[in-house]
Amino acid sequence: MPLKRAVPHAVLLAYVAAVLFPFVFVVFSSLKGSNVEIATHPFGLPKTWHFENYAEAWVKAKIGVYFFNSVYLSFTSALASALLAAATAFAIVRMRFPRAGKWIHQTVLLGMFIPGNVLFIAQYLLVMKLGVLNTHWALFLPYTAGALPLGVLLLSAFMKSLPGELEEAAIMDGLSSAGLFVKIVLPLTLPALVTVFIVNFLGAWNEYLLANFFISRDALRTLPTGMVGFRDAFQTNYALICTGIVFSVAPVLVLYAFLQEKIIEGLTVGSVKG
Amino acid sequence: MKHPMRNPWIYTLFIAPTLILYGLFFLWPMVSSSYYAFTDWNGLENYRFVGWSNFARAFGDPDFRRAIVNNLIFIGFSVFVQIPLIVLFALLIASVKRFRGFYKTTVFVPSIVSTSVIGILWGFIYEPEVGPLNRLLALFGAGPIYWLAEPKWALPAVLITNAWQWMGFYIVLVLAAILAIPREIHEAAIVDGASGWQRALNITVPLILPVISVVVMLSIAGGMRVVDIVLVMTKGGPVGATEVMASYMVNEAMGIDPNYGFGTAIALIIFTFALVLTSLYQMTFGRRMQGGEF
Repeated sequence: MPLKRAVPHAVLLAYVAAVLFPFVFVVFSSLKGSNVEIATHPFGLPKTWHFENYAEAWVKAKIGVYFFNSVYLSFTSALASALLAAATAFAIVRMRFPRAGKWIHQTVLLGMFIPGNVLFIAQYLLVMKLGVLNTHWALFLPYTAGALPLGVLLLSAFMKSLPGELEEAAIMDGLSSAGLFVKIVLPLTLPALVTVFIVNFLGAWNEYLLANFFISRDALRTLPTGMVGFRDAFQTNYALICTGIVFSVAPVLVLYAFLQEKIIEGLTVGSVKG
Repeated sequence: MKHPMRNPWIYTLFIAPTLILYGLFFLWPMVSSSYYAFTDWNGLENYRFVGWSNFARAFGDPDFRRAIVNNLIFIGFSVFVQIPLIVLFALLIASVKRFRGFYKTTVFVPSIVSTSVIGILWGFIYEPEVGPLNRLLALFGAGPIYWLAEPKWALPAVLITNAWQWMGFYIVLVLAAILAIPREIHEAAIVDGASGWQRALNITVPLILPVISVVVMLSIAGGMRVVDIVLVMTKGGPVGATEVMASYMVNEAMGIDPNYGFGTAIALIIFTFALVLTSLYQMTFGRRMQGGEF
């Protein structure tokens, strides 16, 4: 019996090792002195710990700049999109315009069936026409817009489930519909808002295709594209490249450590409903 | 007095930003793509209508046909290789009590990491001189393999990276469905003397067919949309071995000599393929697997 029980664990641990190995390998390599050391002791700990690699990458490779750009673009677009989606969801499921509401809901949901890269060239031409190519607006606008369909879907499902009595009571107390939204509905929707925010944030944090082609000024690059440029520039310095990888993965992992349930829920629910 | 929830001004204020952004970045691109796809526009003022010739040119190009096949290989690999493994791992995680949370949390990790970072990371693992994979092979005396530079190895290498990135996500999805099965069903089967594997195959798998069907749908959509990993790891090379439709489109439209007309035609082809494949699947296996309703 003990053997029979051990088999699933053995298989699963092997898989977990395969999942984690690349990360561990990158962390070790980032602290090694040279390619020679990485090549001769690929699986061992560094002989001496070269923490200065981190300072070097942060400054020399401008990881700091990319990092800041990614943080603030992901944060602002995720927040803007979540709030806009919340306002729209409120209007279409709580306000009394049922026909318009249904119509808007259907139209916005259509967006979930269009694969992102299909719109890529047309969006490129659009941001060019809007005159924002090579500015952060070129990413902020499509990131915010791109996250709207899922946000509207999740938040309108959530708001539909809120009890109607609350609404009546608040209106009796003299709240306007906007006041009701800000003071009552938004606080109650917070759990779903957080989920939507996280999904939006991760989407923007990890986005590569638009970031690569809509931004060509180095100072405006985000982590995913900055990292690729960094790799192409430092092709032979693997320790430094690994340092960059650690910098871009660590914040997401820290976030994940605290919010794993929310993150898993948000990402999986979104995909199934889509 | 009018009911506050019927205030048209507030209503407009609440939906207008969403509709404007959505219209600009979803609807308008669809419309303008359908227009430019029939022109030879390359970014300059003058362009002319060329009918279906962009489409004819695409299908006449062996590189593009190669890209279509590669997209189908991506889909085939996820459906026939990844999904059986996904179901197996999900069943195993559901079968253990200890460490279940740990397994779930860990296998999910790659799906929150950006594709470009994963591409860089695995590019290092595949690196011929210092990469750990070849160092491992060297222990057995096997000679360096140029994983991403040899046409016959490049596509499998990218496929494995892609599988490594997404399997955990689907495992968690399937696991949730398995854990949602009422315990009484299993208890009844245990009373009837069914072994663990019999229960897994005859009870669990049929009950989770709907979610497996969702995973198949997502794999088809994912196989159609794949592009980041290819651009970061191989840029479609060597000699087109890893080219997919979307990377072909990007390389054609955003190269030194941009051709937006041709590129948008490719975008429409990708869209049509995705639509046709998913509805074909829905009409054949999908409906049967979702079952239940009839």
